[in-house]
Amino acid sequence: MEFYGYAREDGTVGVRNHVALISVDALANRTVEGISKLVKNTVPITHPYGRLQFGEDLDLTFRTLIGTGSNPNVAAALIVGLEPSWTSIVAEGVSRSKKPVESVTIIGNGDHKALEKGARIAQRMVSEASEIRREPFHLSNIVVSIKCGASDTTSGMASNPAVGRAVDRIIDEGGTVIFGETSELAGAEHILARRAVNEEVREAFLKTVKDYIDFAVSKGVDILGSQPTAENIAGGLSTIEEKALGNIQKTGTKPIQGVLKPAERPKGRGLWFMDTSASAQEAVTLFAAAGAVVHLFPTGQGNVVGHPIEPVIKITANEITAERMPENIDVDVSDILRGKMSYDEAGELILDALLKTASGKLPSAEILGHNEFALTRFWKSM
Amino acid sequence: MGRRLFLHNGSDNVAVALENLKAGDVVEVKVREKTYKIELREDIPYGHKVAIRDIERGSKIIKYGEVIGVATEDIAVGSHVHIHNIKSLRY
Repeated sequence: MEFYGYAREDGTVGVRNHVALISVDALANRTVEGISKLVKNTVPITHPYGRLQFGEDLDLTFRTLIGTGSNPNVAAALIVGLEPSWTSIVAEGVSRSKKPVESVTIIGNGDHKALEKGARIAQRMVSEASEIRREPFHLSNIVVSIKCGASDTTSGMASNPAVGRAVDRIIDEGGTVIFGETSELAGAEHILARRAVNEEVREAFLKTVKDYIDFAVSKGVDILGSQPTAENIAGGLSTIEEKALGNIQKTGTKPIQGVLKPAERPKGRGLWFMDTSASAQEAVTLFAAAGAVVHLFPTGQGNVVGHPIEPVIKITANEITAERMPENIDVDVSDILRGKMSYDEAGELILDALLKTASGKLPSAEILGHNEFALTRFWKSM
Repeated sequence: MGRRLFLHNGSDNVAVALENLKAGDVVEVKVREKTYKIELREDIPYGHKVAIRDIERGSKIIKYGEVIGVATEDIAVGSHVHIHNIKSLRY
């Protein structure tokens, strides 16, 4: 099973060939946006943070920005920040991926000169990146992320199990898959824990979920007791186990190789769990920062999330969503619920969409310009 | 008429309604290649669960081939299975 991707110097394989313009802090956003208007085929990556963060919270922001710039879908990265110290930390981090990386700072230049310098660098990067050609690669070179959103009854019944079939196939072929959503696993973590590859991973996984539940309790929120929600109950879900089981169908059946910190790269092939929020834009941002190149997104009611550099494929089994939001849906597996399509057949459809997207076909979120990039914050700034 | 009940796993004792079903309806469910007819004792709304065999009080409710809770009363085949007659084992 093959796709046409881009070979990167560090041995990874991308499915897009972006020149990324990355803001180190919010004050660089105007410059990054300005460069992206002057130079075609650049991708601006902006966000509201990056000043006076500290400790683990700052580490996560650096890891996310560095990981995004290092993602195989990025051919070259221009790092733009207010001042040289933090800008160089991000630029040096990205340079470890061996791809072209340069930086521009605004202090000492002013907005206008920083814009001009940045635009000249970006133009050269776009010119050089445009010479890179796609080559055939086996599916084992791919890193896929999975997360569902705006879920409903059809998610647990059909679109999530269908994605689970595709995930099993990707892993059988030697590929890598990352899942997350710590909060949504509560209630079924004992079931997933049985799939941990060893005792150490099992304990790390259970501890991650327990720490999350305890954190919520410390903030006065009883996760287990507040699930399923009144809306879930009206929809037919009776217990937290049942709700969580619907979610984890998309993880397939393969062993869990390890537990990753947010935005941490998998240390090998197979299925990996990352500690993430269940917020679509935050989770996809963390997966992309860990090197995921395509995202499979099952949805019930029609979540529309996209990402600046990681294409997101939308899968639904809800015929009403498929009919009313066709511009947001890439794969319609509602025939499962009509008894006309098996999970395996649906899994093949999803795998086919994955290979096409990995080879250059644009999924709906990319065509519509969905480029949500959301940093996860652990705590408030100084 | 298409399929009206959805069974996730051959070892499940509940199936999910694919449309709003009425008390007295006779619906079919296929378990491991054998088709069974079930007469519904109650209305089962879309997305809700129905017992596909008799479930004794205290025994496990199985969906996706996994335990999703325990019966808090005897549940007869064809009955609505929800928060009034099952509870979580986790909370």
